[in-house]
Amino acid sequence: MIKRVLVANRGEIACRILRACREAGIEGVAVFAGNDSGSLFTELADISIELKGEALADTYLNQEQIITIALENGCDSIHPGFGFLSERADFANAVIEAGLIWIGPSAEAITNMGDKMTARITMKAAGVPVIPGEEVEGGLAEILEVAPSVGFPLLLKATAGGGGKGMRAVHNPDNLEMEAKAAMREALNAFGDDRVYVERLLTGSRHIEIQILADSHGRTIHLGERECSVQRRHQKVFEESPSIALDAQLREEMGEAACEAARAVDYVGAGTVEFLVTPKGEFFFLEMNTRIQVEHPVTEMVTGVDIVREQLRIAAGEPMSCGELQMRGHAIEVRLYAEDPANNFLPCIGELAVFIPPEGPGVRLDTGVRQGDSVTPDYDPMLAKLIVWAPSRAEALQRMSRALDEFVVLGCTTNIRFLRELCDHPDVVDGWTTTDMIERLWPDGWTPDMPSMILDAGLLIASACETSGLGRQNSTKLVTAGESPSPFNTISRRFP
Amino acid sequence: MEFKTASGRVEINPMRDGNMFHHENIILDIGQELWITIDSRRFKVHATKVRDDWWIHVLGHTLRLEMIEPGASGMDDEGELTAPMPGKILEVLVEEGQRVSSGDSLMIMEAMKMEHRIVASHDGIVDKIHYSAGEQVNQGAELLSLSDE
Repeated sequence: MIKRVLVANRGEIACRILRACREAGIEGVAVFAGNDSGSLFTELADISIELKGEALADTYLNQEQIITIALENGCDSIHPGFGFLSERADFANAVIEAGLIWIGPSAEAITNMGDKMTARITMKAAGVPVIPGEEVEGGLAEILEVAPSVGFPLLLKATAGGGGKGMRAVHNPDNLEMEAKAAMREALNAFGDDRVYVERLLTGSRHIEIQILADSHGRTIHLGERECSVQRRHQKVFEESPSIALDAQLREEMGEAACEAARAVDYVGAGTVEFLVTPKGEFFFLEMNTRIQVEHPVTEMVTGVDIVREQLRIAAGEPMSCGELQMRGHAIEVRLYAEDPANNFLPCIGELAVFIPPEGPGVRLDTGVRQGDSVTPDYDPMLAKLIVWAPSRAEALQRMSRALDEFVVLGCTTNIRFLRELCDHPDVVDGWTTTDMIERLWPDGWTPDMPSMILDAGLLIASACETSGLGRQNSTKLVTAGESPSPFNTISRRFP
Repeated sequence: MEFKTASGRVEINPMRDGNMFHHENIILDIGQELWITIDSRRFKVHATKVRDDWWIHVLGHTLRLEMIEPGASGMDDEGELTAPMPGKILEVLVEEGQRVSSGDSLMIMEAMKMEHRIVASHDGIVDKIHYSAGEQVNQGAELLSLSDE
């Protein structure tokens, strides 16, 4: 039995887990850094404890402090969410050694899958197809040596990587050394490990992943796929299930390969096996994410399985509760980022002076913020996820368009309009989504397609409100002097 | 009244009639809420002012319009390159006195856990470099200045 969970995370995913705990009648304990004081997730917890320290290493990444808080507050388990400590085998071990339940797979499974190179080797041995490439142990010199045999374009990937950090595409051999150095540096900063390996860059392919669940009673199942091809900076922005690229046979083959991958590391819990699928329908293992994933809601919507609740059950040693799965309809998720898509998707900061999410049938918002919150440069710029479900893909796209039109965020630049235009783009409507599609569709960067009528209306509203002193009913907090808003729109430069 | 938009500066002086404002074929009605009428269709809109910027939501579009104070100079911040975010300078790729072309990488900085390249906005000569590798910079800090030929 699990009675009190410490959620070692923040933002949107902490909210998601704390809500699941409430629904399960389990108490949730939040830990938060000083600059997260008053954040939404701290309100959803039964107990909220402030973490001492300022740097990330002293707060959300401070294993010792988090475990101490769990013990002092009578927690019996820790849920790591995603990012932060979620794929740290040493943390999983420390949690277990402290006598707590780790809501995740075993430390061995995390180690085997978390190190991308070891994972490649394990998957090859299990008979799961991997992307042509070279494992590299010898640093920069070896990267330069093996690259020509892998061929260009190629992808440099951090061995300890994830989230697009330490990952660089190299199209031109002349840039190899520069990009390799950048990838190694980014990897070192993000993961404390600068090892980088080389894979063929499979252009025009799709990123499709399989959600799996495995319990400690010997059952391993897959929950179908998520199509996550639409990416910028190697981070996903638009995810859906099912994928139109899979027929029933390919779905079964990939699902079985994913379960095989999980069994190869004695996996227990929720996990995701990522594949690249080429236009010819070949699929290659990319990596396994040994944690709950950002885009898990689309699977929840089409399968009806509450993945976080299943994680809690499985961690408590119970069998998973879902029986035979029946996929139903179509779900799409978009990630709301504080970023400027018209300026190469650079992150933005600001203040959510107005934040009015969409409502209505088939709409789900998993948010970590609400009106009045500030977006600071301290954390990842993902603010929320908007998920829709509808009986068909076409209707799901229509519903997403409608929902994005309703979504009002003022005071901080976001990618809402970019996401909205994606929903109408013929390539998205036709399902021709590939990992390189954003570069393909907008080689010179995206700019909003704004009718002059809209700009005229905007100018009218701004000038009328300014001169009359009316129409400021939505203003929330007073503005702190000295802080300036995100400069991306005011400086007319691009930072590629 | 003058605003800075993505496509340059625009001046606008709407006609006022009580709480109703007119511009081109658009009518704005300011009450507890904001409603505009275009071609006899009425739409609710949202607006708020944060510092000097008006943020407007109209029919699924979000605009940010920076108000230009009357009498403010017409000069933009040409010639200086500022930090887009608070962060750390990782590498300085140029030297003072060096000639650069528009689009050349000048510095690499790290912000929000990602690397960003600071590139030259126009051809010119690097006048002054204000930070070196390893230094922390605040948002808006002038990183280096470029002079025209």
